[in-house]
Amino acid sequence: MSTQFVQAAWGGILFGSVYGLMALGLTLVWGAVRLLNLAHGALFVVGSYVAYWVVSSLNLPILIALPIGVLAAAAFAYLMHLIFIRPVIGKPGFDNSTLIATVGISIAVSAAAILIFNPEYKVVPPVISGNFTVSQVQITKQGLLVIGASLALFGTVYLFLTYSRLGMAIRAVSQQQEAASLMSIPVVRTYGMVIAISGALAGLAGVLLSPFFFLNPNSGFNPMIQALIVTIFGGLGSVRGALVAGFVLGIFESFVEVYYGVAWAQPGVFLLIILMLILRPNGLFGIGEVRRL
Amino acid sequence: MLEVKGLVAGYGGGEVLHAIDLEVREGEGVVVLGPNGHGKTTLLRAITGLLPPRAGQVLLDGKDITRWRADAIAAAGLVHIPQGDLLFPDMTVTENLLMGAYYRPTWSERDARLARVYELFPWLKERGNQLARTLSGGERRMLALGRGLMSKARLLLIDEPSLGLAPLITQQIYASIHKVKESGMSLLIADENANHVAGLADRVYLLETGSLVRQGPADELLRDKALLESYLG
Amino acid sequence: MSTGASATLGLTRPALDRAAAPWRRVSLWTVGGVLAAGIVLPLLLVRLDIGTYLITLLILFFVQAVVAQSWNLIMGYGGIYSFAQVALFAVGGWTSGVLVHSLGWNPFLAILVSPLVAVVAALGIGLPTLRLRGVYVVLLTLAFHELARVFAVTGPRFISGGGYGLVTVQTFQFGNAIGNQRTIYLYYLAGLIFAIATFVIWRVIHSPLGVAMTALRDSETYAVSRGINQFRVRLVLFAISAFFTGLAGGYSTHYNGGISTTIFDFPRIIDLLAMIVIGGWGTFAGPILGAGIVIGLDQYLVALGDYQTLILGLALAGIAVFAPQGLWPLIRRLYENYLAPEPLPPAVEVSPSAPHDTTGEL
Repeated sequence: MSTQFVQAAWGGILFGSVYGLMALGLTLVWGAVRLLNLAHGALFVVGSYVAYWVVSSLNLPILIALPIGVLAAAAFAYLMHLIFIRPVIGKPGFDNSTLIATVGISIAVSAAAILIFNPEYKVVPPVISGNFTVSQVQITKQGLLVIGASLALFGTVYLFLTYSRLGMAIRAVSQQQEAASLMSIPVVRTYGMVIAISGALAGLAGVLLSPFFFLNPNSGFNPMIQALIVTIFGGLGSVRGALVAGFVLGIFESFVEVYYGVAWAQPGVFLLIILMLILRPNGLFGIGEVRRL
Repeated sequence: MLEVKGLVAGYGGGEVLHAIDLEVREGEGVVVLGPNGHGKTTLLRAITGLLPPRAGQVLLDGKDITRWRADAIAAAGLVHIPQGDLLFPDMTVTENLLMGAYYRPTWSERDARLARVYELFPWLKERGNQLARTLSGGERRMLALGRGLMSKARLLLIDEPSLGLAPLITQQIYASIHKVKESGMSLLIADENANHVAGLADRVYLLETGSLVRQGPADELLRDKALLESYLG
Repeated sequence: MSTGASATLGLTRPALDRAAAPWRRVSLWTVGGVLAAGIVLPLLLVRLDIGTYLITLLILFFVQAVVAQSWNLIMGYGGIYSFAQVALFAVGGWTSGVLVHSLGWNPFLAILVSPLVAVVAALGIGLPTLRLRGVYVVLLTLAFHELARVFAVTGPRFISGGGYGLVTVQTFQFGNAIGNQRTIYLYYLAGLIFAIATFVIWRVIHSPLGVAMTALRDSETYAVSRGINQFRVRLVLFAISAFFTGLAGGYSTHYNGGISTTIFDFPRIIDLLAMIVIGGWGTFAGPILGAGIVIGLDQYLVALGDYQTLILGLALAGIAVFAPQGLWPLIRRLYENYLAPEPLPPAVEVSPSAPHDTTGEL
């Protein structure tokens, strides 16, 4: 197999897993709460920086820093829900308020990261270091971990949503919110749970991905934009969609990058998404109406 | 068991319910009769926490549940089977039923309830894996009822059980509700057709334009010729 | 019906004029006064030797306020969550910059082209969004923003200037004016743009078009059922918004002597968003007030550095959730409650065909 092909394939599968991971939390929250969480990137940053701090200041191994980072991100997400989302649930200005609020939180977190740490790039150690080569392409073990984690998480989330009590409650709330409350499901608290779970997912993505680039306070924005794109491409609210769309877009971008150059990768993806929005705004597996009149 | 005192409720700028007083005693079947659009659904929604009342009180076994959230009220045993069913469209029949038992019963409790529901509507067991949104009108109603029965309800509020159903299915539905009542459940049913509920009702309230205009024992009211004329749907 | 009879019945001639012509509510004295103050201010400042710092701040204010108002027109009044505003500003800025830098145009002519190109770009962005609901518009417009950014950074040399943007663009020349005098001319130009934009936007908001767009925003099905052509209304909104944003962009390029690719950075969008949210989402004066506040605070707090961004982010989130109306409605309410003169008798909402004394009519 040609080096180029292996490079593109490896990149594609890796990107795909990453995108899927980032998109999963976003799509869950949209499905359940109908909230577009533009602070998703901030959760990514929180997870990464907490893990970094555990490793560099507490001198603990990354394996311990990982769950701490994830928990921190989940807790932060839940806090965000309590302060900024819960007060406006059910009110007519919900979409407006939460859109702006999450944007505000996003930049606040960036600024906080600069203040607490500093704007310099940080290095987060990988959970598994080392690599090997296939057809002259470097395959990192951390990369394999990311792919494995992503697939495992999708599987876990799927099982969770299908069979667990909370998972079914989340599905119920996203499908028919009033009926859910009539079944004694605490709707608002369920929202909080979903948001916390999405925080955990974003935090995990953050810790796993940070070794691939240098962590900085603005690290969250790009993954979030990617997550948005993947989520909408796959269909807002669809877990399956996030997985499929993640890989489709990841592989597409990787191949474009390898064969046509890095300058075309981003625009290529954007054009693809624009096309999708025009032709099929619901995305691949989307739920709920999108069309205006 | 359930007491409503001076309940006032509405939407936006308007008031739909003007100081409603009603009660449902243990084991009773109470029917709220009234034409469409006069507040029956609003009444049920206000009682079960889907609509915050503007004034008045709702008491369940003496506890003031007026400002309680809907899920808390459901957990307290006051279960609302809403107009339009409000099923979970992308969940299967079985999943919908299981959601009714969200309150976390023991396995045996849950199985017992499930068995009872299957007794009432055997087809629910056979077609357990069918998605709720593919069901017909009558089937949805039955599923909604079954779902409500999965809870630990002591008082069932049913909003227009026969809405949009063909006469044959309607009969089936009411027959099932009758069986439920016989097993000891207290009922508060909102309906617009006196005929349907004749066998179920112990007492009847008449709701017109948001106010209770008459009330009394069922046999008394339902014998009233003039009444029957206007309420024979 | 005789006067006597109608008086007995208590019918009065409805005060239609007042209600139907809101522009008559704004006193010409107020507007005139503000204009006069605006014209005299820089001269005064220079005469008093205070220096041009305040004037440059006001120029910044004018430019930002125009963009904020334009964005508010789309988001606050139109209800369309478009995040392409900065990209449109950039389109205007680059158009003008390239025309002057590469083709040798006169800046004054070039900035007349910026709005037009921006409008074309906006229509290109606007068309696909017409069929989409809120959330999707955010993404689509962010995508355009990113596309624009990537193009500006990695595009051909005459646009990207090696990734930094246009760096040495000729600035406005007012004859031989230099120093303070030149700053004053720049101020007048910016002020003129601001005045025109504000006036046009004000007229649009208070016109049938304005009513149509708020109707669409608040209750789309009903508005469409009443015959409002949502496509036309939205496209016109986009066009007007883009026109002035592009104009502001063009001016900015020749004021600063260039336009940098850092303009696409998130903080710029946040600043603009903050102006609208803090000032008053969906109100006329809100973005103007917001622009003033944000720029003022920015200058005042610049020593705080990143703490400022932190506070801004939290303030944005807080206001969005706890005071979504923004400051302007609050101020107006305070004014009405405590300071306002006796309010006019409420305009009687009576149909002209209702019974009334018709002796005065033809």
